[in-house]
Amino acid sequence: MKKDIVSFAMGNEAITEGALAAGARFYAGYPITPSSEVAEFSSIRLPKLGGMYIQMEDEIASIAAIIGASASGVKSFTATSGPGFSLMQENLGVAIMGEVPCVIINVMRSGPSTGLATKPAQGDVMQARWGTHGDHGIIALSPSTVQECFDFTVKAFNLSERYRTPVIILTDETVGHMREGYVRRELSPGEILNRKEPTCTPADYKPYNFEAEEDGIAPLAAYGSKYVFRINGSGHDESGDPCARPDNADKFIRHYTEKFIKNRKDIVEVKEFEMDDAEYAIIAYGCSVRGAKAAMKLARENGIKVGLLQLITIWPFADLEVLEICKKVKAVVVPEMNLGQILGEVIKVGQNYTKIAGVNRIDSQIITPYEILAKLEEVAK
Amino acid sequence: MKYMDYLRTELFPLFWCGGCGNGAVLGAIARSFETLGYTKENTVVVTGIGCWGKADDYVKTNAFHGTHGRAIAFATGIKLANPSLNVIALMGDGDGATIGGNHFIHGARRNVDITAVIVNNYNYGMTGGQLSGTTPENSKTTTSRYGHIEGAFDICKLAEAAGAPYVARATTDNPVVMQHLITDGLKKKSFAFIEAIAPCPTHFGRNNGMPDAVSLMNWVKDKSVSAQQAKTMSAESLEDKLITGKLVDKECEDYGTKYQKIVESLRVKEASS
Amino acid sequence: MKAWQIILSGVGGQGLMLSGNLLGSAATVYEGKKAAMTSAFGVETRGTFAKSDVIVSDSEIDFPEVLKADVVIALDMIAYKKYADSLGEGSLLIYDESFEHIDCKAKQSAFPIFKIAKDKGNPAAANIAALGILVKLTGLVSEEAVRSAIRDEFGTRERLVDLNLAVFEAALEAVK
Repeated sequence: MKKDIVSFAMGNEAITEGALAAGARFYAGYPITPSSEVAEFSSIRLPKLGGMYIQMEDEIASIAAIIGASASGVKSFTATSGPGFSLMQENLGVAIMGEVPCVIINVMRSGPSTGLATKPAQGDVMQARWGTHGDHGIIALSPSTVQECFDFTVKAFNLSERYRTPVIILTDETVGHMREGYVRRELSPGEILNRKEPTCTPADYKPYNFEAEEDGIAPLAAYGSKYVFRINGSGHDESGDPCARPDNADKFIRHYTEKFIKNRKDIVEVKEFEMDDAEYAIIAYGCSVRGAKAAMKLARENGIKVGLLQLITIWPFADLEVLEICKKVKAVVVPEMNLGQILGEVIKVGQNYTKIAGVNRIDSQIITPYEILAKLEEVAK
Repeated sequence: MKYMDYLRTELFPLFWCGGCGNGAVLGAIARSFETLGYTKENTVVVTGIGCWGKADDYVKTNAFHGTHGRAIAFATGIKLANPSLNVIALMGDGDGATIGGNHFIHGARRNVDITAVIVNNYNYGMTGGQLSGTTPENSKTTTSRYGHIEGAFDICKLAEAAGAPYVARATTDNPVVMQHLITDGLKKKSFAFIEAIAPCPTHFGRNNGMPDAVSLMNWVKDKSVSAQQAKTMSAESLEDKLITGKLVDKECEDYGTKYQKIVESLRVKEASS
Repeated sequence: MKAWQIILSGVGGQGLMLSGNLLGSAATVYEGKKAAMTSAFGVETRGTFAKSDVIVSDSEIDFPEVLKADVVIALDMIAYKKYADSLGEGSLLIYDESFEHIDCKAKQSAFPIFKIAKDKGNPAAANIAALGILVKLTGLVSEEAVRSAIRDEFGTRERLVDLNLAVFEAALEAVK
């Protein structure tokens, strides 16, 4: 019998439970507000499941340890906030170039620098996209409810395993610390994806031979198995051996972007609310979805037909879905707790089709329905 | 397996400069693998970035080539996720004791069962001979043309002070002793640290009036004092000396073993409730 | 049922988050309702103004913070003064009878919140007394659901279960 447990819990707890439900058995991290509850819950839960919890000396070591653990075949994750996420950027590149699955939880707080440590923000959207140097694609998901904290973390692990990539959960202080009722579902085996393992002979195994695979993702063995292999964060060939040939560099660096484009349909996810008859749209993600939904209802009560597009995956950006909406409505409003990081993406896609306006707060207060409503009324004038 | 079977001899000659000690250290490591009967499958060589960070190119075991200074952190995850693996982290002095100094001291303190080998060549060799955390005071490098005005780390003392249960120092002029010290470090079920002294002839040597391997070897020999000899010498006369041999070898239960005890106690508690 | 917007306020260390948690658990785990709780506090964890917003509803809760409070409970003079100054008509402000009364636009009710907890043996359980008063006055969740949530929270620590249940019952009694 499957056991679903209903509880009234914090977003950070639901994230931890989502990770464990997805099969994560290794956590390495460095405490930082407002993400520390993920570390605390993990330190209690993992030993009971026979998994490993370790607190490292900093965030650089934390992400290094989870990448190492994943190369040993164990699903791994870490949690942090802005300053720690900045420290992780170099080794995030190792996970991208080494193509090692892992999940990084970033509970965003007000920045730059130490900022307002206990207050929410959505200021790391672009850091998640471009924070590590060099061309690459990335997957980032942004939950807006405690239930989504659980569900999206499961999805994050699945995408990470499926596409041999780090996946980032971009949540924020509000959602991370908010308590709501949620269902901790016991997942059926079919809901949990694991990395593709090699089936060839050990002598034939090449950890980066992506071209031989239909989905463009090479199988990944684990250290200690019969396959002997090299994970390499430096420029390498199919075998993982160092290679500085320009044609090889071109092929692989394109691969780090193209594998997400090729599999876009399976990765990108959005949710639509009341879009069928909408004349205006709100595009939102994370905590801003909450005010946006309330604003949509208030606007409809006032006779303005508003719909909402929730970005579940922030990266890769849902350009096709956003374009479709921009072509359809008279104006789009983008509320976010930064000065327009996703707004810029929406403008890039839709500026020739519709009016686009942001509702932006960087004062550590979450955006209220009334502020979004006021902007909707302004653009609807 | 014979020691040469751990090495990708098809890639020889090694890309390191003539007179460089890296090849000797790599040979000692391969011989240690042979002595301990390691397999390619159950061994992971983790490297950082730098001349010595290229060592993994030449091994046939599993390898992880990560970022500058972070080899111990990657190795920690690799080992704890699969305790049956033999994990060895190879770093240079710039790599392991300068940019990676924090991971080094915490690795020693935390005591995960991995072996760290730092080849100390006294400068950043690959990038042209800039100063590192072990560059001796007053010596010249490409970033201390007028003489280095900072003090240098004694990495073995650093490891000892940070709590490493096994600390040893070896020099490339005595590869047999070096191999024994590495073998004992690998055998030790704890964090084990071996410093291999191998001054860079191309940069450190040339910039400091010792352009050839022989003069560098003599410089090392003059500085070297065995651990046994050192016991009879005054602190004053030991200043600027390199004490070689096994410097620390104590029993200290490793992180993984302690952690498994917690896991086991929770299992027993769960079963009885 | 309408969506109830509740603020539990006082100073850090009074157990306001626990009260909110019990209320949320009672609503979601035992009654299948929706509930959301967000908290705000100073950098220090004790002694400065702190509050938890709790919303309980039969339908999905969009915005998780209280925009217009139905009920505010103030367990400290700092909190009482803050809300007496800012609350408008249509809100109910509940405070401890020992606080000096302040006239304000909102409806007000004073209860012996601290005395109830003290009489049952522990003044630190005033957060539970406040919860009892809130539940009795509003009926936003059933009394039995709160009792179950209290039992879950304190689990095998029977002395604490008994104390908190006793304070809760006494608070229900105190509302006429």
